[in-house]
Amino acid sequence: MGDFFANLSLGFGVALSLQNLGLAFLGCLVGTLIGVLPGVGPIATIAMLLPITFGLDPTGALIMLAGIYYGAQYGGSTTAILVNIPGEATSVVTALDGHEMAKQGRAGVALGIAAIGSFFAGTVATLVIAALGAPLTGLALVFGPTEYFSLMVMGLVFAVVLARGSILKAIAMILVGVLLSTVGTDLETGEERMTFGLPFLSDGIDFAVLAMGIFGIAEIMRNLDHTEHRDVVRQAIGRLLPNRDDFRQSYKPVVRGTILGAILGILPGNGAVLGPFASYTLEKKLAKDPRRFGRGAIEGVAGPESANNAGAQTSFIPLLTLGIPPNAVMALMVGAMTIHGIIPGPQVMTKNPNLFWGMIASMWVGNLMLLVINLPMVGMWVRLLKVPYRLMFPAILMFCAIGIYSINSLPTDVMFIGLFGFVGYVLIKLGFEPAPMLLGFVLGKLMEENLRRALIISRGSLETFVNHPISAGLLAVAAILLVIALLPSIRKGRDEVFVED
Amino acid sequence: MSETVSGDLCPARAGPVRSPQSLVAGLTLVALAALSLWLISDLDQGTLQSMGPALLPRWLAIAVGLCGLVLVGTSFTTDGDFLERWSLRGPVFVIGSILAFALTIRGYSFGAFALPGLGLLVAGPLGIILGGYATPEARLRELVILALSLTPFCMVLFGDLLNLPIPVFPQALTSLFPADWSQKAVLRACAALMTAGAIVIFLATRNRHPGPVDVADHSGRI
Repeated sequence: MGDFFANLSLGFGVALSLQNLGLAFLGCLVGTLIGVLPGVGPIATIAMLLPITFGLDPTGALIMLAGIYYGAQYGGSTTAILVNIPGEATSVVTALDGHEMAKQGRAGVALGIAAIGSFFAGTVATLVIAALGAPLTGLALVFGPTEYFSLMVMGLVFAVVLARGSILKAIAMILVGVLLSTVGTDLETGEERMTFGLPFLSDGIDFAVLAMGIFGIAEIMRNLDHTEHRDVVRQAIGRLLPNRDDFRQSYKPVVRGTILGAILGILPGNGAVLGPFASYTLEKKLAKDPRRFGRGAIEGVAGPESANNAGAQTSFIPLLTLGIPPNAVMALMVGAMTIHGIIPGPQVMTKNPNLFWGMIASMWVGNLMLLVINLPMVGMWVRLLKVPYRLMFPAILMFCAIGIYSINSLPTDVMFIGLFGFVGYVLIKLGFEPAPMLLGFVLGKLMEENLRRALIISRGSLETFVNHPISAGLLAVAAILLVIALLPSIRKGRDEVFVED
Repeated sequence: MSETVSGDLCPARAGPVRSPQSLVAGLTLVALAALSLWLISDLDQGTLQSMGPALLPRWLAIAVGLCGLVLVGTSFTTDGDFLERWSLRGPVFVIGSILAFALTIRGYSFGAFALPGLGLLVAGPLGIILGGYATPEARLRELVILALSLTPFCMVLFGDLLNLPIPVFPQALTSLFPADWSQKAVLRACAALMTAGAIVIFLATRNRHPGPVDVADHSGRI
């Protein structure tokens, strides 16, 4: 327990330095700004703004990126409530009741309870991360290549199970992602694989290029397919602070949502997405009058929003302790860390305690800032929603192009975001989800490395994955999950959970 | 960004294919798998104990191909989605804008064909205006003002404040300015000129009746 407080105070020492406070604020502000704009989710935002952090020290850069991440998530909720456009999967549920509340002139209360619930969830999640960080890092140290490989297999299976749409397509996407990660020079033999003899492919496909292409650019192309129709709420936003009645109705959902979200967020795969859905379902089950849901029930905003934020934060746990990104956003954080010369994994905590604890403490600071940024400034965000998309997307294009160019100073990288953008557009048109592909791509390299090591140690025997108890357990979980997901009856239930409207 | 107005409004099911989307998706996967298998065909697979460079990609490609075949199979047995209608205007202009940016930012030579490095000063407006036409709602005046105000903003933000390694203007441009001006001073002068241009255009054309907009088709498709 003494350690816990010592670590946290070390973290707050780092996070409360003037520079890091400024960076956290800037990150939250920019993240909110971009998150509010419909059509730009957290992944595209981080990919786009990655270059801005290059000049900073690693701690400051990660603090700012984390701020952008929460900011974009928060901003997404604002858009979901005011415009009924869920920027990404996690705010789909918020749009259901949040937008109804807004239509009834209670937009302010919806935004308020979302912010307050998120802040509470963020505070709890920060403490959970701080408490779990040390023991999990200890666990990670006993992991060998065999266990790591199995852990990643389990992570990918989670991603399959939690992806929307066809399971077969999700599996295919993950395989394609891993396949893409093998492009480039083979580390062991130095032979070039699938490079078409092109020199700029010999280092492999750049992660940022792939991410920005299939999320940022493809998203623009897809948005252009539909004529724009924004249902911006015309009523007054109304008062922001929920009254006593609202609080009485929502404090329990907030607590339950926080717990659910925090647990589900730790899961590999896309845990943060599951939290809001689970919370919404739970609140609806527990409610005295479930018919109110979908018609502006405050519990339907409070619970999922808290779960969303708790999950977003606890999804840092696998990354910080095991070095394994549980979702696409965390995969981008890996990219950011490696650019700054930090290899994510259990060593980060011992080698860079300032960075590790500073980042955790800054999460709480960032949550506090978001409260300040979002509530009083909501009028400004609403005005931002009136910027037409025809002016917004050329600006986004421009930022993407500049951002990707400044990473390696290669014009070919810029061309590749165009190519991957088109690939992403085609994938969406064919009913494939791009997120599992990105995750497969990021984990692919790690997997190949660990598979190789594990097989060298075991002299080429595949049994090693079953003989190691931890590895066997992880694979068993993966297998069971996959079977459950493929069972038709449960699949039906799963489809219902992910139905968008 | 209204709900998807997709092609599945026209229920004309022709032939034995019951899910065209799955069919095309499956065939795409099979093609991808075939391409990878062909690309790594001359690489060594090695053994499990010492994995060769081709081992993982080969088995992944086979798995991708199998997924594709199953998808093709299901497209004949299970009802599924139709292919959404495709628009070409969006992708063509977006990719065109990205290409234009990539080709002009630092200069590019390809055989006898060579472009000088023009920097953000040219690449920015070019990319914005070209990209802007990806939607049929594009209006030239708006795009020009956007280009002339966003480009200097990016020049100052990325080139001046953040010091990112991005070419800001063509080198030939420095000769137009007094010799003792630093790069940053030239950058700021350019940015100021562009911003001024944006303001002038904004004020000069403010009262003009909004000209005939490109209203060929407001459905967002061509």
